[in-house]
Amino acid sequence: MSTQEEKLHATNHYLYYPDEENIPTYLAYGFRPIFLLLAPYFIISIVLWGLVWSGYLNIPFMDNVLTWHIYEMLFGVLTAGVMAFLTTGLPELFPGMIPFVGKRLKYIMLLWVSGRVSFWFIDTTGVYLTALLNLAMLGWLIWFAKDIVLDKLQRHASLGYILIAIFGIEVWFFASILGWSGSDSMSILRVALGAIVILVLLVMRRVNMEAVNELMEDKGIDDIYISRPPLTNLAVFSVILFTAVEYLYPTNSALGWIGLATGASILAITSDYSLEDKFILNQPYVIYMFFIFVMLSLGYGLMGWSILFNEGNGISSFRHFITAGGLGLSYLMVMITIGWIHTGRHLTSNIYTHLMVSFMILATFIRGLIPFFQEYQMQLYLWSAIAWSIPFIIFIKVFFNFLLAPRADGIKG
Amino acid sequence: MKFILKILKNLPAYLWSGWGAIASILLFIAFWDIGNQIYGNLVLPSPLETFKTLYAMLHSQDVWEQIDITLYRASVGFGLSLLFGSVLGLIAGFFATASMMSRPVVTILVGMPPIAWIVLAMIWFGMGDETVIFTILVASFPIIFVGALQGTRTLDGDLKEMADSFHLPWHMKFIDVYFPHIFSYIFPAWVSGLGMAWKIVIMAELLATSDGLGASLAVARSQLDTPTALALVVIMIGSLMFIEYIILEPIKREVELWRS
Repeated sequence: MSTQEEKLHATNHYLYYPDEENIPTYLAYGFRPIFLLLAPYFIISIVLWGLVWSGYLNIPFMDNVLTWHIYEMLFGVLTAGVMAFLTTGLPELFPGMIPFVGKRLKYIMLLWVSGRVSFWFIDTTGVYLTALLNLAMLGWLIWFAKDIVLDKLQRHASLGYILIAIFGIEVWFFASILGWSGSDSMSILRVALGAIVILVLLVMRRVNMEAVNELMEDKGIDDIYISRPPLTNLAVFSVILFTAVEYLYPTNSALGWIGLATGASILAITSDYSLEDKFILNQPYVIYMFFIFVMLSLGYGLMGWSILFNEGNGISSFRHFITAGGLGLSYLMVMITIGWIHTGRHLTSNIYTHLMVSFMILATFIRGLIPFFQEYQMQLYLWSAIAWSIPFIIFIKVFFNFLLAPRADGIKG
Repeated sequence: MKFILKILKNLPAYLWSGWGAIASILLFIAFWDIGNQIYGNLVLPSPLETFKTLYAMLHSQDVWEQIDITLYRASVGFGLSLLFGSVLGLIAGFFATASMMSRPVVTILVGMPPIAWIVLAMIWFGMGDETVIFTILVASFPIIFVGALQGTRTLDGDLKEMADSFHLPWHMKFIDVYFPHIFSYIFPAWVSGLGMAWKIVIMAELLATSDGLGASLAVARSQLDTPTALALVVIMIGSLMFIEYIILEPIKREVELWRS
């Protein structure tokens, strides 16, 4: 590709770049500071949690370690992931929107960091501060994304609505912690997970199409991949149903069948990968993204199985197929694809990307199948935590140079 | 041969695309489970109990014998209607007079409720295989007959003329011009005929015989054994879905591909 062509290609990503001067490279585009912080944060926090759960480390954190573990792994990292997606994706989905960079980006990143700090020191600084900072972060994201809700064509409005719903659920969670709401905070977190899975399904539909089509263009495969809305909608409907029924009747046998149905409906999304003429399931990125759906599907399916045949035993371990597996892989895929494409490179697969995805899947299986190997529970907690952190260590090794250097194709951003 | 290979090649993708259908079936089962919780085990046993009964039943020799009997009757009945329906339908389609004459007769056959045929057949043939087979024959024959008739009636005259002007040998004319067209009409008719046969065989057995799945259903009813009754229903629906979606649908897709 000539330089001219490459520049033309970059205008797919944004039309205008802000004329702020002296922007340091690490603030040149929204995803850069996020990934620079998120990857180390994942490693540090998962290792700490791993040590806590395996009993090697006794953090007198709070009276309710489990609730806050779930809170942080859902809401704490969600804002970073969503921000990476929105700041990178919105100028692309809505040409004319100016990328969010420079000083303002720095302030928002500081808000996210202070949210994390206030979380880890919640015993000293109090719940109010944590609530304020974290809600402010999510609130800002929604404000930032207001265009997608106000868009007349409503092409991507569902993303905005689900973010508003997640904000409402987070408010509800803090209300229950503070005693303003009678609901059980653990049940609220399960509702939050459902909402986040829906967000992931909606985001994946877009990331999927973008990445797969870019990949095929790169490889000269003459076909077009379309992720059909009805399949995603069926999966979203099933997840909503499962979440609602689980909140109201967590042990009802009908929930078991709904869990199995949800698993099947999520797997159905992958049938779009079989194109009319070309076989693309041998392409690494297609396989990576395929596994996101497999993990989510396994999580719901196994939870359903557990309710029907195992009296609900092990359900929280099976839920890790959704969280550690499905959500973890989604974060990883967003980080890898954006890390290549938006630093001016081709979407490349190599031994590192293979290892990242494999370790995450391995970690998920170790964590998710603990109910079948109860006697090794403690070791398995630790191993899965270590395995889960390896992909992010590799990410640091491979991508931090890209994130700290200007785009390879020479354009701004 | 190429045709079969192509179907086999597309089969995995086709089967994989079935997850959506499986999801909606599982959601339906969830509603069934809610029905059980509202109305109790006697009225509507839970899906899990039904599947457990089914599992036990499939391990009993007796149930397989009943399935064999029903399968035999259904295949003989359907086979006969397939043969007569297709041949007569094709012939009638080639002659305008015959197709004109046959239309009202077909209307009579379609319009007559199968239950009335069963009553007549019981008088004519007594309680046994013949009654069931006859009922299947008269119920699914008209469907196949009409399909075959439509297939030949709607043959494209221009294509025929073209084939004639190129002096195609008769076997090429048949395989490349007539067959794809007729088959795309007659095959869906076979599929609906089969569905009809499978429903009729159970009904006829329930009323007119002392063995077969239908008769087992009658016994389950008289003993108020709802789990067994539902398990039998699951066998019937399961086998029909297997034949229709796993075996016939892939063929149908391939056959109808030229239309789109």
